[in-house]
Parts: sequence; C-alpha cells; structure tokens
Amino acid sequence: MVSAPSNSNEREVGDEMNARDEYTPGPATGVQIHKSEAENWELVVVRELRHPPEKVWQAITDPAHLREWSPFDADKSLATAGATVKLTTVNAPQLYVTETTVIRADEPHFLEYTWGANPIRWELEPTANGTRLTLWTAINRRFISMGAAGWHICLDILDRLLAGTPIGRLVGADTMKISGWQRLTNEYAQQFGLEPPKRFPQPHQQQKP
Amino acid sequence: MKIKVTSIYVDNQDKALRFYTEVLGFTKKTDFSQGPYRWLTVTPSGDPNDVELQLALNNNPAGKKYQEALFGQSQPAIMFFTDDIKGDYERVKSKGAEFTMPPTDVTGSTIAMLKDTCGNIVQLTQLAKW
Repeated sequence: MVSAPSNSNEREVGDEMNARDEYTPGPATGVQIHKSEAENWELVVVRELRHPPEKVWQAITDPAHLREWSPFDADKSLATAGATVKLTTVNAPQLYVTETTVIRADEPHFLEYTWGANPIRWELEPTANGTRLTLWTAINRRFISMGAAGWHICLDILDRLLAGTPIGRLVGADTMKISGWQRLTNEYAQQFGLEPPKRFPQPHQQQKP
Repeated sequence: MKIKVTSIYVDNQDKALRFYTEVLGFTKKTDFSQGPYRWLTVTPSGDPNDVELQLALNNNPAGKKYQEALFGQSQPAIMFFTDDIKGDYERVKSKGAEFTMPPTDVTGSTIAMLKDTCGNIVQLTQLAKW
C-alpha cells in the first residue's frame, strides 16, 4: 500500500513542478469506443500498470488518493457497496456535486458506481507485471475524443502516483493548457473516425475571482 | 461588472437546446462538457455580445423543488423581451410551442407565456409605448 499523499496544494514547489511542467502525454492508445444510437457512447480504457491490484484499488477508491489524479473528488471511500458518496467534478466552471451509490465493490477487482449520469466501472486484473486496469464509462458523443484524452492523462498521472513520483492531477481546463492536449484529442478523434474537436473558448474564466 | 450570462434550470439539456434554438429561434453559443458536467449556453440573436442564457441541468434537489413549485403556480422562470409579441407568438406557436397564455394586455405591457418542455414557463413581454 502507498501511504496517503499530502494535499497537492501544500506540497513544496520543486522537482514535482518541473515534472508537471515537462509532462506531455504519449500517443493515443488503449481506448476504444462503441458507437450507438444513444447520445452517450461507451468508452473503454485499458491500461497496464506495474503495480499490484491492491495498490491500484486504493488509488481508485480512497479520497486522498483520488485527489491526486481523478477528475472528481469523493467525500468518502468508494470501496463499500451501498455507500452514498458525493462526487465533486474538479475544475468545472461551477461547483458541481453529484451523489452516487456504490453499486459494486469487490476489492481489489471490480468497482462500479455512477458519476452524474455517466456509468463508471473499473476492473483490475492481476498480470505478471502488475495490473491490467479496464475502465468502462459512457460519454456524450460530441465530447468523446476529449473524454478519451482526459482519461488518458488522468491514468498517466495515476501511474506516476503509484510509482511514488506524483506530479499532481491535471483535469478540466488545466488539461487543455498542456502541450500535447490538442494532438492527443485529434489522435483519438482520428482513431474513432470522428471530426477533431473544436478548440473551446474559455467562457468560464470570469467565474473565478 | 456586467451581466454576461443568466441561468435557467432544465430537466434535459438536449431537449432544452432543441427548444431554445429550433422553437424559440435562439443560437447555440457555447457547449462543452467535463465528465457529467455540461456548460451549455444560447443567445437570443447570435450576436456574440448578447447576454447568454445558460441551460443548466437541474440535478440539484433544491433547484428541482423551486422549479416545480414555480411551474405548478404557472409562474415564469424567465422573461424575454420582444418588440413584436404578436409576430413572435405566431412564429413560435407555428413551431409547435404550447402557450399557457396568448398575448394579453396587462398594465404597461403585453405578455404571453409558454412551456419550454424542460420544466419551465417562459414569459414573453412587449412593453407598451407611452
């Protein structure tokens, strides 16, 4: 098990900041979508991690670990089926809190809940080198390339956290600022046979004091 | 300071976008999503300097109660101003909108009310010329 990391806001500025500034995502890989008539399409992300399932399980269920890499904060652990947990979408232009009830939690293999209307299912399979992580979710078809890129980056950050060299999470508007974001979303769009997503204006900047 | 955006709760953002653009004739301004959150705005004329109307998903229990109570009392959740209420009434009605009040003369103005299909009553107002 990894020890609970300190809050990223309290960390010393140093090597971690350099690592964060230097971070750039690799090529688009490991994500599939399933198109349908529905507005939301299924997104499946597979990632090989060099860490045992128990360690990955902690990182995907424990609030202190989620804070280091996840696109949402949880007000309590997601590791118990039936638990009611409030999820706060990080860096959304408005405070956005959704409540979920954990549907399934089979430590350290299977976890299921919802994030707003989006289903979230995690499977952790032990491999010779660690864990094969699979995430199933569903995302509005117009934003699915960006969703794929967003999860890609989150799992990169998760990998660094598990390795003991956290660089702090990159979600929401922060993600769009990094070099490689545009390339990554375009690559996923191309793999999915979709139009590259348009650049967004930043309409929510006025929301921050 | 200035008013740049105002919000209305809707029970379905896709349905709301259809109503406010195809029926009411507004233009989509910004549409982006982050996880389950979706920032969606429209403007009345498509002019980039227009005040934006945010179509916010009502997943807030307190907001839902407020919205349902207003709707139950036939109270408008929002009001739009027009210089041609009769023309707008005919145009919007021909697109299939359900009006709860046809253009009606009241003190200082003519008003009409319609359902936005997403849990709200919308009022159209034309001020009387003095």
